[in-house]
Amino acid sequence: MSGLEPVMAAVLLEVPAILGNRDRPEARRRLLPDPQPGDPLASAEWHRLMDGELLHLFASAGEVFERDLSGLRPDRGEITFPAKHIPAWMSAINQARLILGELHHVDEADMTLESVDSDEARRGAIARIMVLAYLLEHLVNHTQH
Amino acid sequence: MPLPVARVTTQTAVAEAEKTEPKEILATPWNVIVHNDPINLMSYVTMVFQRVFGYSRAKAERLMLEVHNKGRSLVWTGDREQAEFYVRQLHGYQLLATMERVEG
Repeated sequence: MSGLEPVMAAVLLEVPAILGNRDRPEARRRLLPDPQPGDPLASAEWHRLMDGELLHLFASAGEVFERDLSGLRPDRGEITFPAKHIPAWMSAINQARLILGELHHVDEADMTLESVDSDEARRGAIARIMVLAYLLEHLVNHTQH
Repeated sequence: MPLPVARVTTQTAVAEAEKTEPKEILATPWNVIVHNDPINLMSYVTMVFQRVFGYSRAKAERLMLEVHNKGRSLVWTGDREQAEFYVRQLHGYQLLATMERVEG
């Protein structure tokens, strides 16, 4: 991946720390949603059987992503990683976006830039979500062609 | 030994269901629903529909737009086991997916 602006490289380097919030309750609720919201018993059984496997999947993707970050060359605006790691990259970047969204209560209006927020931390989170969206879009387009 | 316990529990649950639910209810199809969220990208959701269900680009985009515009889309209907498989796949891609029994 080339043509990375310094801010993109900086946000990529922040992703492992963002993923470190995966176990916070808000993040877990989003990453491990209820499959049958109207049936608490069925959802509880689902979580008992599925959550461990999903968390392992998410953590593995994050580990692949973090290892690949060693290939980042911010001075050249590029990063090199194996094409077979693209699914892990998409997962890690999307996890980071969702975690930021949950922790900062980001809504539809925030994503369409219809609202102006005075909270600096929240503005920063939305900016990071946008930067990661650009990178994720790039990876999605790569897989579609 | 968590695995045998889980298996016994599942089998017990199925046996209990068979005792109490008529066969036609057990055979009732299930809908897989995907819900809108403010973060997931439209292009990403389209790609996931293509990968998970094998849908064409056109069908995947139509369903994605339904999610975006109406808040939810019924993306698949069929037997419960397959519905669970698809919901598990969609959760793996971090989409908000649920399943519900088709109302008679």
